Amino acid sequence: MARVRVEFHDIALAFGRTQVLRDIDLVIEPGEFFALLGPSGSGKSTLLRVIAGFAFPQSGRVLVDGQDISRIPPWERNIGMVFQNYALWPHMTVWQNVAFGLEERKLSRAEIERRTADALDLVGLRGLAARRPSQLSGGQQQRIALARTIAIEPKVLLLDEPLSNLDAKLRIHMRTELLALQRKLGVTTIFVTHDQEEALSIADRVAVLDQGVIQQVGTPLELYDSPANHFIATFVGTINLLRGSLETADGGTVFRGETLGTIGIPSAEASIGPAEIAIRPHAIQLAAPGKAPDGARSWLDGTVTDREFLGEFVRYSVKVGTTELVVDQPHYMGEPGFAPGARVKVGINPAQVKLLRA
Amino acid sequence: MGRGGAALAHSGIARAMTGRFTFVHAAIALLIALFLLVFLAIPVFTVIYVAFTNADGSLTLSHFQSFFHLTLMRESFYNSLVVGGMSVAVSSVFALPLAYFISRFQFRGAILIQTLGVLPLIMPPFVGATAMQLLFGRSGSLNLILGDWFGINLPIMEGLNAVIWVEALHYFPFILLNLTVALNNIDRAMEESAQNLGASGFRLFRRIVFPLAMPGYMAGAALVFLKVFDDVATPLVLNVTNILAAQAYLRITSIGIDDPIGYVASVIMVAASVFALWGSTLVMRGKEYATLQRGGSTLATQRLKPWQAAIAYGWIVFVLLLVLSPHIGLLLLSFSRIWSFTVIPEAYTLQNYVTVFRESSFMLWNSALYCGIAAGLDVLIGTAIAYLMLRTRLPGRQTLDFIATSAVAIPGVVLGIGFLRTFRDFSVPLADVPLVSFWLIIAFAYTVRRLPYALRSCVASLQQVHVSMEEAAQTLGAGGRRTVTRIVVPLMAGGILAGFVTSFLTAAVELSATIMLVSATSDAPVSYGIYLYMQSIAGRGPGAALGVIAVTLVALGTYVSYRVLHSRNLRFEAHQAMK
Amino acid sequence: MRLMFRCLMAAILALCGFAAQAQQQVVIVTSFPKELTEAYKKAFESRNPGFRVEILNKPTPAGVAYIREAPAANKPDVFWVSAPDAFEVLSAEKLLAKIESPAKEVPAKIGNYPINDPKGFYLGQALAGYGIMWNTRYLAANKLPEPREWADLTKPVYFSHVSMSSPSRSGTTHLTVETILQGEGWEKGWQQMLMIAANCAAITERSFGVPDGVNNGQYGIGLVIDFFGLAAMASGFPTKFVYPSVTAIVPANIGMVAGAKNAENARRFINFTLSPEGQELLFDPKISRLPVLPSVYKKAPAGFPNPFTGKIKPKVNFDSELSESRYYVVSSLFDHTITFRHKELAAAARAIYQAEARLAAKPNARAKELLTEARALAFTPVVGEQKSKDKDFLALFRETKRSAQKTKQLTGLEEYWSSTARKNYARAVELANQAASLAR
Repeated sequence: MARVRVEFHDIALAFGRTQVLRDIDLVIEPGEFFALLGPSGSGKSTLLRVIAGFAFPQSGRVLVDGQDISRIPPWERNIGMVFQNYALWPHMTVWQNVAFGLEERKLSRAEIERRTADALDLVGLRGLAARRPSQLSGGQQQRIALARTIAIEPKVLLLDEPLSNLDAKLRIHMRTELLALQRKLGVTTIFVTHDQEEALSIADRVAVLDQGVIQQVGTPLELYDSPANHFIATFVGTINLLRGSLETADGGTVFRGETLGTIGIPSAEASIGPAEIAIRPHAIQLAAPGKAPDGARSWLDGTVTDREFLGEFVRYSVKVGTTELVVDQPHYMGEPGFAPGARVKVGINPAQVKLLRA
Repeated sequence: MGRGGAALAHSGIARAMTGRFTFVHAAIALLIALFLLVFLAIPVFTVIYVAFTNADGSLTLSHFQSFFHLTLMRESFYNSLVVGGMSVAVSSVFALPLAYFISRFQFRGAILIQTLGVLPLIMPPFVGATAMQLLFGRSGSLNLILGDWFGINLPIMEGLNAVIWVEALHYFPFILLNLTVALNNIDRAMEESAQNLGASGFRLFRRIVFPLAMPGYMAGAALVFLKVFDDVATPLVLNVTNILAAQAYLRITSIGIDDPIGYVASVIMVAASVFALWGSTLVMRGKEYATLQRGGSTLATQRLKPWQAAIAYGWIVFVLLLVLSPHIGLLLLSFSRIWSFTVIPEAYTLQNYVTVFRESSFMLWNSALYCGIAAGLDVLIGTAIAYLMLRTRLPGRQTLDFIATSAVAIPGVVLGIGFLRTFRDFSVPLADVPLVSFWLIIAFAYTVRRLPYALRSCVASLQQVHVSMEEAAQTLGAGGRRTVTRIVVPLMAGGILAGFVTSFLTAAVELSATIMLVSATSDAPVSYGIYLYMQSIAGRGPGAALGVIAVTLVALGTYVSYRVLHSRNLRFEAHQAMK
Repeated sequence: MRLMFRCLMAAILALCGFAAQAQQQVVIVTSFPKELTEAYKKAFESRNPGFRVEILNKPTPAGVAYIREAPAANKPDVFWVSAPDAFEVLSAEKLLAKIESPAKEVPAKIGNYPINDPKGFYLGQALAGYGIMWNTRYLAANKLPEPREWADLTKPVYFSHVSMSSPSRSGTTHLTVETILQGEGWEKGWQQMLMIAANCAAITERSFGVPDGVNNGQYGIGLVIDFFGLAAMASGFPTKFVYPSVTAIVPANIGMVAGAKNAENARRFINFTLSPEGQELLFDPKISRLPVLPSVYKKAPAGFPNPFTGKIKPKVNFDSELSESRYYVVSSLFDHTITFRHKELAAAARAIYQAEARLAAKPNARAKELLTEARALAFTPVVGEQKSKDKDFLALFRETKRSAQKTKQLTGLEEYWSSTARKNYARAVELANQAASLAR
């Protein structure tokens, strides 16, 4: 299948008086598996519908393969969309559903048969061709919806929360399947989700939206390690955010939090003054008081206020001064960890501290 | 599939698309509006206009003054209100205990009650009226027996009583149905909290349950009142002329199309209908009683104690017999040669049916034609309006819906008068036939009268179709029209079919507008044919035979459509889960 | 799709128009029942292939209104009803065309009444008398004597056992009422009418309601046109029919509408109805009307009445011009003082009869006076003989185009009659009750 570039320029959309999308500028590279991530109401589904032709921006342009599609009706855009509820037609068999788009293109009977069969084979459900959608499981319905869109060889593939109706185990299984399929077909794919774990695990790049504005675009790694703002930092993964100020000390810069104490921070590019830093829970180490601390870290004193056993790790709430920190410690067999109320030493690795724009 | 150049050509469509409707949508809406204008709005306004103007065109209230000066007219107005109200009351007397039994007790008689709910509706009141005369009249079967045994005579079929009795027996299912549904929608928690506070039994029913069911009841009551108020045929067949609908008909036909009193009567009838509808929505609005909450269950049912069972079943059997009486009477009459002053006919024959088939089979074709056209137009227009309402942002679509639905408040005889008055100077193009004598007018009258019900059916069924079904088709390349024909209409098929069948069957037994519009006997549909037959001595038997045939066809039609819909519903139940 | 539909509609309309014109049509407005119209339609069409008879079935007054209101380009062809006075009304409004009788042997008169219109606008097609019909079982069950004359029906014993229709709804009833009025005079005639009406159980909507009710035993006795009674007997119903002496034999007429669309066809049909074959159709027991062609009677079934041999002795010489001049007055007066006030009238009669029964046992002079007054109140027409002859008064009712003022006047008058009647009846009840209480 062709690989096309999708571009958004200056898209703004309002429903009545509510502004749903603002200043959307985005480029999606050919063949990319791209995710639109955000909480509900962020405008991500609306943006998807703009490409499909079901939402109409007041300003801006959408280019697919270099061509402005804003004026083209949905049925001529050749953009495939898989809906959240799959929208399989109950009055048609699986075969008829999948063949629909091909029939609309007035291909020969033989061609239709071939391509429908191919699409069903691709999702591995050829044997269900004679069934009706009501006879399929959720996962099967999703794959048929996919087959239906793939059959027409669309320029762009849109997926609207494709996995949210599946149960947890199936979701994980299906997302790898989806990725494999996309890689095989090579078609530029945009999918919408509110689940950051999903977006991070399979997308090539992710755009995070909040309240109609793109907060950041980048690879999952970039988003996780270098969140551009407060929102991204808290939305993607769990994080500790600390306010304070930067000062010079000991020939370097330190961060002094309110009643926190000081933490060394990497390099001197930061300016002196009020600042906010972010530390991931697993970058903090807990040690019993009295144990020889690792000199590379900055150590503070704290008290464990709560603990959650999560299997692979234990999540602690540790009070340092007046601040509550979330600390994740890997769990090993036989190690009991710390109980609530225990005094601990809290070690922060300066290399893992991220300075946020103040 | 690059369509750069084509994009320009479609820019008109695309531009319209930003307003969420297309040229095609607008054109369709305009056509529908035109139809409704010509065959509903203008005739009704003509009637209202004539009632308020002089021969020279100046506005006047003098016709209304004349109307209210005439004792006969005041009396007719009053009688119409009384008959309407009493019909509701008597219907309620039948329906209330039945609804109570169904909702309060575990009941194997549910089938019986469901039958009760359908039987009366398949026979139009005027057809049953004749049979009722023979059974309940002064020298009818019942009074002959009562006279012999007890020496009493019940004036059930005298004057207004006759009309009330016949109408109540025919329309009580409306109330029964509405009441049952309303009772079934009450959350058990309502009742349990009352029980928790000490209420029980009948007191509980009276203070908690019934008031909560009130809105549903009111809807049914308003509808019954409306239909009884509108009925021309039944009073005429029963020789009751001092009723508004009958007076409107009589004045226009025997005094003339220009008689203003007839128009005043029409305007009052329309006003009364509108008032009844508005009144019932008003009563319901303030009382948006919570129906079943999420996870709530309906009222608890108890087992019947033996004495309770006796009363319950006794009442049901009693009502069932009453409900069946016009059917039985009609059947007997259709097979009778002589039925005079005896409890049952003394001589039987098949000749009546032979006569009907020989002479009047053309009426069956007429009915099929008119009702087929009407039902077809109804679902076409209904689907179109439903689509415009729910899928586009076409300005004025709400008005279209409103006008189409407003037809429910227009009595048939008023529409008929409006047609006669509006179209009297027109001829059919290319032919030399005056429009008012042309049979197509009858079909259009039926179309307009049945449209509100078909429209509701279409709207309800389109609401069940998730918009993503259409969007999916559009992403796969199906344009507006293809999406509608391949996806929307098939998914609506159940509702469309239901709408078609209902329109067809109710139009088949309609007489109020028919009696005004039918001129030539050869144009007569079955309902008019029955009426004609009942006008001659030798015609009673054949009239009854034709009535039996009509009722049987209606019953069959209802049953078949119920089965078809039921099987479709089973297939589509799963797609409910997809929403 | 809708465009296609519209085109289809236009095509269908055009087709229907053409189809309708392909056959020769004759459009007939008639009040006659199905048995008669079907018989004639079948016979005519079988004799004249390519011809189609279109029947417009309407009660007589509605038929008159229909012809009056039909647009000039589409007048029906033939008018065929029992009541000659309806023809007079149309003739006066110049809505009938002159026709010639094809049957020269039809006598000029029946009794004193011309069979064909002397002015030549309509022809007699059948003859009918008016009489009393009763249900033998009903009478037996209620122990009632068989009536013979109209006057019999005024007796208290028949209270609530009689039935009749209203002249405004039935041409034949109009004729019956006129016959009685002409036979007994305006005042005495109305008195009789009121008393008979008081004894009625119902004033039916259409003339057919009467014989129908008598047939199935709902009413005991009815005032009917003869063929209803004869047909009922012939059909096997337990009924009997008799001609009272105050009766008239009057033709049922057929005429051609002025400006009829299919004038030639109209003539053809009219000629058919007056041919021997057409006349013999009247003998069918379900139809039972008296032919106007004397020669046809030799083929009559046994016992069939023959008006030309003088067995039926009509006392009344029907004056149809008089009838026409007061056509609407009679209808309206009847309706507003009898039909619509029936309950009160019957209540008055009941009260009077009850009081009289009491009085028979215990005579009382004062009570007798009261009752006489009561009777006068209940049974005297509100319009006196003088007024009934007043030209202006009659003209008021003749106006067809109703201006608001005229309507007001008319309705005012009708309202006056109605309320006066009601007052009178109520007062009669009072007086009768008083009389009854005196007779203790």
